[in-house]
Amino acid sequence: MNKNLIPDNDANRMDEVLKRALRREHAPDGFADRILARASEAALSARSSAAEPILAGSWPRFFTQPLMRWATLTALATAMILGVHLHSVRRERARGEAAKQRLMLALRIAGSKLQLAKSRVNEINAGQSEKPEDKE
Amino acid sequence: MKKMLLLLLVLIFPVMRAQGAQNQDAPTRDAAIPPDIEKLSARAKETVEVTMDGPMLRWASKFLSAKDPDEQKAAALVANLKGIYVRSFEFDKDGAYSPTEVETLRSQFRSPGWSRVVGVRSQQDGDNVDIFFKLENDKMAGIVIIAAEPREITFVNIVGPLEVDQLADLGGEFGIPKLDQKSLSKAHRGEQK
Repeated sequence: MNKNLIPDNDANRMDEVLKRALRREHAPDGFADRILARASEAALSARSSAAEPILAGSWPRFFTQPLMRWATLTALATAMILGVHLHSVRRERARGEAAKQRLMLALRIAGSKLQLAKSRVNEINAGQSEKPEDKE
Repeated sequence: MKKMLLLLLVLIFPVMRAQGAQNQDAPTRDAAIPPDIEKLSARAKETVEVTMDGPMLRWASKFLSAKDPDEQKAAALVANLKGIYVRSFEFDKDGAYSPTEVETLRSQFRSPGWSRVVGVRSQQDGDNVDIFFKLENDKMAGIVIIAAEPREITFVNIVGPLEVDQLADLGGEFGIPKLDQKSLSKAHRGEQK
């Protein structure tokens, strides 16, 4: 069927063209190295582009540095200690105020009972001073 | 990371320990309160209990304001005291306590070193007040007040050097007129007779 459509000369010429086009040629020098280099570059850029949306210009990247990590830790520890200290000072003050109120209450009770004694003593004294007058 | 946690623990532990030690500071109960009086609290409608020993008094007085005249006087009054102990019981009816219970309480201060300065017995109102002074080297080292009213018993024990004028301040403080020293001494003489 092919013989009917393509003449023999043309077929031979096409064979030649194909043979020439598909013939084996040696790669230029350094071709393999260049390919490997490009491949590794591509892998690196793919990795960094995947990580960058999270880290670029954000706080987590700031903390990746050891010095910053220690500084942050120290600041956190200081803040915690200060917080605990302030809490204890506040609680101490509240307890002190409560103790002061108890002290004032105790003094008020003592004062009122002394006053009760005083008023009774005054009544007795008044009664004693009135008796001689009654006799008169 | 483990190192960081360890460091945090090392830094925070002393602070937490100090906090724990403060929490353990409980008010110490002194022998200055007769044990019999505590029994009355079961029958009382209202109870007031103040127990302040020396360190607590000094600590509480730190919070007294120098601007408030009442608190200023209170601070001067408690400066040398060793303790203030108050027990006050209010009952909902008359006769909730027996005269024997009050007498037992009074008898504990009829001992050497104690001097009964005032003893008031009112048949009309039923108010009985006893004031005892503790004397050490002719100086007042304490005062005990036992006030027995029909529906109330109050026991006050102030331990420590207390000058007579300070006592007058105590009586005259907080809007209450000062104690008349002449009245006190007359009453004392009356008791001795």
